[in-house]
Amino acid sequence: MTTVAASNNARRISRGFAGAFLLAAIWELSARGFNLPAYVLPSVSSILSGMITDAGKLAAAARFTATEALAGYLLGCVIGIAAAVGVSMVPRTRGVVMSVATAINSVPVVAYSPLVLLWFGIGMTSKIVMVAVAVSFTVFLSTLAGLDRVDRRSVDLVRSFGAGRMAALWRLRLPTALPLIIAGMRVSTVRSVIVAIVTEMLGAHGGLGWVIYQAVLQIDFVQVWAAIIVASAISLCFFGAISFVEQRYIFWK
Amino acid sequence: MTDMSIAWSEDYACGLNPGARGLAGLLGPAKAVQITSEPAWGSSGDNPLIELRNVSKSFGPVVALDSLEATIHPGELVTVVGPSGCGKSTLFNILAGLEEPDPGNILRFRGKSSAASELLGQVSFMPQRDLLLPWRNVIDNAILALEIEGMPRTQARAEALKMLPEFGLAGFENQYPNQLSGGMRQRVALMRTFLFRRDLMLLDEPFGALDALTRTMMQRWLLDVWQKHRRTVLFITHDVDEAIFLGDRVLVMTARPGKVKLEQKIDLPRPRKADIVTSPEFITLKKTLLDAIEEESMKSFMTSGH
Repeated sequence: MTTVAASNNARRISRGFAGAFLLAAIWELSARGFNLPAYVLPSVSSILSGMITDAGKLAAAARFTATEALAGYLLGCVIGIAAAVGVSMVPRTRGVVMSVATAINSVPVVAYSPLVLLWFGIGMTSKIVMVAVAVSFTVFLSTLAGLDRVDRRSVDLVRSFGAGRMAALWRLRLPTALPLIIAGMRVSTVRSVIVAIVTEMLGAHGGLGWVIYQAVLQIDFVQVWAAIIVASAISLCFFGAISFVEQRYIFWK
Repeated sequence: MTDMSIAWSEDYACGLNPGARGLAGLLGPAKAVQITSEPAWGSSGDNPLIELRNVSKSFGPVVALDSLEATIHPGELVTVVGPSGCGKSTLFNILAGLEEPDPGNILRFRGKSSAASELLGQVSFMPQRDLLLPWRNVIDNAILALEIEGMPRTQARAEALKMLPEFGLAGFENQYPNQLSGGMRQRVALMRTFLFRRDLMLLDEPFGALDALTRTMMQRWLLDVWQKHRRTVLFITHDVDEAIFLGDRVLVMTARPGKVKLEQKIDLPRPRKADIVTSPEFITLKKTLLDAIEEESMKSFMTSGH
């Protein structure tokens, strides 16, 4: 069974690479064939050589952005899961917490970035806060949905074994919710990178978003593309890592 | 799965049954930990283990139980039959401590007036559905109750491992519930109940989901171990044959609101052989019970508006 899954995975990955390669080939041909100017669409080869030239700068920016995204992501996951557990343990708080959370999230998260930049400065902290806000909402909702899915009869069973609320939470409710918690965490990976980059574009002194913003000002679209490619590589790796954990440990879904 | 149950029944039929002693030990009187401060409530005779007087329970306008009276003595195996929706599950939930009856009831456990909630953790309860946890393998599902009690995992696992053969689960300890057939899942759930040693065992149609052959084997096996170490069992079933074959007494419940309509003593000699179901005494009892149930089924059929 595991070998089948592994070969399926290998096939999926090789297909992914084939698709990316095909896209790059069409891109390269059309950029050269139609002789497009660099500010419309630079050729893949020029982007790649640009990435090599600026490797040091891009790597530093990537590290900067990845650190913000990861820190905000972890913080957001902890907040989201803790809030959902709290709400489900004290059902009376549910209405209040849900309406506040929905109100905050009914506008795009980036709308808050000017305020967050004002409060937390243009360093890493403001990005981490923004990512945490974005991630915690998604994780909160999926954790709550997971905890709601617990069968009442199962709760009764562990109660009849003498389990208190904490034992029931630890042995029954959280494991039952785990597949949905991880699904929420998987979706949030990409969101965390996006929010970090967008916030950087609005005010920062490092990171891929800042690189993109600076490059646009200098009309250096090769560098814009280079930064975009690095950013999407980070997103893909992050997403892939959480998917791997999900497949590996949530075997019963 | 089929292979397993056949191998298991052959083992049984040969009369070898090497693990019966281990199992019987499990069915024996509850562990000392839980009753150290109280008199051993096993063989003292006439004192009822549990006594219900005037127990009612309504959910809004629906009256599930209406002044139900029942007494269960230590070591008895009492079976409960009744039309569907007669409040059997409500009765079980009260006895398991999960639900509080309406005020004005008398509920005595070991001679002491108790609230239903005091029974939580005092009764080993097996619900109708297996409710196995999909992320735990067979052995870890079986030890769930022990773990909640605070027994170290390794010790609990070792104890459960010894029981696997008796439940026809030897070699399956590392399988997960989604890899098991319905019958095996039910046996894992039974094992979980057995490992949680308490004075009173509540079994809610435990064999209902098993195929006829396995079911008969399970009934005989249950009787066998119960015979050796009388542990008190209250057993819900839909099956009149099963109720008579197993029980010292059969309680027939009325259609909702549920109360005890008929209390039939079953004085068929023990040990009971499988062919007892064709004896004239058995048939007479069955007729009495079926008549009572039939009347109630008709009533619940009419009132539910079909």
